[in-house]
Amino acid sequence: MTAKTFKGGVHPPERKDATKDLPVVRVLPSSRTVWIPVTQGGAPNAPIVKIGDVVARGQRIAESDAFMSAPVHASVSGTVKKIETHLVTGNVDALCVAIEDDGSGTTLFMDPLDPFTCTPETALERIRSAGLVGMGGAAFPTHVKLSPPKGMKIEYLIANGAECEPYLTIDERTMAEHAAKIVDGVAICMRITGATEGIIALEDNKAYLVPILEKAIAAQRAIPVGAGAFAISVVLCKTRYPQGGEKMLIKAVVNREVPSGGLPAAAGCVVQNVGTLKAISEAFREGKPLIDRGLTLSGGACAEPKNVEVPIGTLVGDLIPEVISLNPGVCKIVSGGPMMGIAMKSASFPVQKNTSGVLFLTSRETALVEESPCIGCGRCITICSCRLAPVLIARAIKADDLEEATRNGLMDCVECGTCAYVCPAHVKLVQHFRIGKHMVRTKAAAKAAAEAKKQAAKAASEGAR
Amino acid sequence: MGASDKNEIYLSSSPHYAIPVSSKHIMFVVLASLLPAAVYGVYLFGFPALLTILVSVASAVGSEALFRFIIKEDIRVGDYSAAITGLLLAMILPPSTPVWMTALGAIFAVVVAKEFFGGLGSNVFNPALSGRAFLLVSFAGPLTTWTAPFSSGVDAVSAATPLSLLKPAEGAILTAAEIAEKSGFATAQEFYLNLFMGNRAGSIGESAIFLILLSFIFLTATKIIDWRTPVSMIVTTLAVTTIAGMDPLVSLLSGGLVFGAVFMATDYATSPVTPVGRLLFGFGCGLITALIRIFGGYPEGVMFSILIMNALVPFLNRIIPRKYGWVKPAKKTAAAPAKASASSGGAQ
Repeated sequence: MTAKTFKGGVHPPERKDATKDLPVVRVLPSSRTVWIPVTQGGAPNAPIVKIGDVVARGQRIAESDAFMSAPVHASVSGTVKKIETHLVTGNVDALCVAIEDDGSGTTLFMDPLDPFTCTPETALERIRSAGLVGMGGAAFPTHVKLSPPKGMKIEYLIANGAECEPYLTIDERTMAEHAAKIVDGVAICMRITGATEGIIALEDNKAYLVPILEKAIAAQRAIPVGAGAFAISVVLCKTRYPQGGEKMLIKAVVNREVPSGGLPAAAGCVVQNVGTLKAISEAFREGKPLIDRGLTLSGGACAEPKNVEVPIGTLVGDLIPEVISLNPGVCKIVSGGPMMGIAMKSASFPVQKNTSGVLFLTSRETALVEESPCIGCGRCITICSCRLAPVLIARAIKADDLEEATRNGLMDCVECGTCAYVCPAHVKLVQHFRIGKHMVRTKAAAKAAAEAKKQAAKAASEGAR
Repeated sequence: MGASDKNEIYLSSSPHYAIPVSSKHIMFVVLASLLPAAVYGVYLFGFPALLTILVSVASAVGSEALFRFIIKEDIRVGDYSAAITGLLLAMILPPSTPVWMTALGAIFAVVVAKEFFGGLGSNVFNPALSGRAFLLVSFAGPLTTWTAPFSSGVDAVSAATPLSLLKPAEGAILTAAEIAEKSGFATAQEFYLNLFMGNRAGSIGESAIFLILLSFIFLTATKIIDWRTPVSMIVTTLAVTTIAGMDPLVSLLSGGLVFGAVFMATDYATSPVTPVGRLLFGFGCGLITALIRIFGGYPEGVMFSILIMNALVPFLNRIIPRKYGWVKPAKKTAAAPAKASASSGGAQ
């Protein structure tokens, strides 16, 4: 099997050894209370429970009518204690439902549904009801991803098991422990989208998983009806960051490019994280909504790094020190991986549907260097997997020339952070781009608002006449 | 909450990772890669060469520190950038350059060509070449007085460089054998070998072609410099001068072509950042070098060609790679034709 890959990228130190062989263990928060953000991907939800309500595990607690939304469910059975804002990933305060676990363990799941006999519309409705969103990090509602715009034919369903972020091993463990569910999830998505080829893509640092996955595929092929009808294969990619990015994975696996500003569907592809696929399978086979998730707890400050599964809404701080004990010298708490994760001001934030890991980094592992002047070496251009010119974008932003920045690719940037990673002058390139993108969007919004105002004024004056 | 409360927690935007390579590290490697040719230059030309190198480096580093102190900016001696400029300038000066002149050139290079433009990374023109150009137009005599290798002492006899013999004089172009004879060698082969080993009159560091090529291999292998600029510059110069009837090997081995292509045209701040930009930059440098060598008033054209091309870098930087997923913009309405043509520049 030849390893596929894309052009550009880097290979940062993986540091996965600490947890790659550790089974996922189920743990519960020490406070026996979960803080579940009411919106976890998609359009904002509103809570549908009141303080004092007794809820069961799997009961819907927040929802919205918007198509772009995914409901949220109680991850423990117990009493709603508070509905108020709490610190969440991103260092903002967001509305959360606090549920105190009564230990009864009562569940309220949906009835199992056969994804291969129901209509695709019913299947999509099930995926939405289960509150499924992308578990790789983006938290994009899964049912939206599986409903490509009319006229776009999906050929490939790609299961994303690349896990190119250092430290994180939860996707790796999910593939090792739940290969059958992932393969089932791929078949379900193929059935919904009409994709003819299913591909499970992983990096060659996880090559030992190939036989496990192929065995699961063979077992599924043996099923005479339904799931057995779908052609699924495993593809190994050369270990390289940011392979797990949707655009890069499509380039690596099927050598197509997602058009600028367009959807992966325009390239005939739908990409789903392996964790999401497992959850999709559970939503049909067990009727279980997305209420638990696995994540990697790692970093140099962890006495004993682990892969754990927790109820969504578990405060990371409630896992310290019972589950994860910390050595002194924590310098950064990162929600996600070191390349794209978010540095948090405290560990008191809930695990969400898209929290793939929490890292406790020491100063030796993380980069705290000051920016120095750009020397124009061009390394950022060499490694940019989107073939942008980061140095030129940064210069244009500095000169307040947003048009030139856009020409050089500002809005095409996927914010993988590779440019900032390799910059010898430690210029915070991707950080500048985030500001630049915000400026472009603000400007566009202001322009649209002015235009709308003008139109309204015109309409009003015409109306007056 | 647990033990993390006792720690000082840093907040910053991702990535939280960085390679351990710094600008200083790169500069140090460049400085180190210049040393073999510099040491060899001292071996060839003796004490005056050593004095020129020391004065140039000291003046460059000292003037940068002093200037930044005066304008109340942080002193950046530690990044080796000024040291590289000083060393580069010394290596393209004749060994017999008066000490005060060397110092003046180094000060001009660092203060006027670099710091006036905003310092490290912001300068438009190659500082070392600017310093030499400044000296050449100010003091043409001493800057074109060459000494033969191994002629001890400061009172070295003036010698003609092979490159000046190669220059078409009154319409006639000398063959390699004729130049070899004029330079005191029996055969063209012996002449080539001596040129390759740097045994000729010339600037301190430019003559040892074999050492410069070793540095080139080292710098490209470690990805400090891009092969595109030096290769396209040398190939273009050789192609054009050969068409003009000049001996390609003499063109290559005499003069500052190889040194300029490897160490000057690849200067980060004053060369393009994009791959195609770098190829075109090298092509432009090579073309202008050849034209000056064939038609110009000077025997050598490397310095002016690179300085001229430095001015074009902002335009060359507009040639960017084809972006991932780039789609040809749909034809705009007649109202915005200018904008459509501007954005089509996204494709190379």
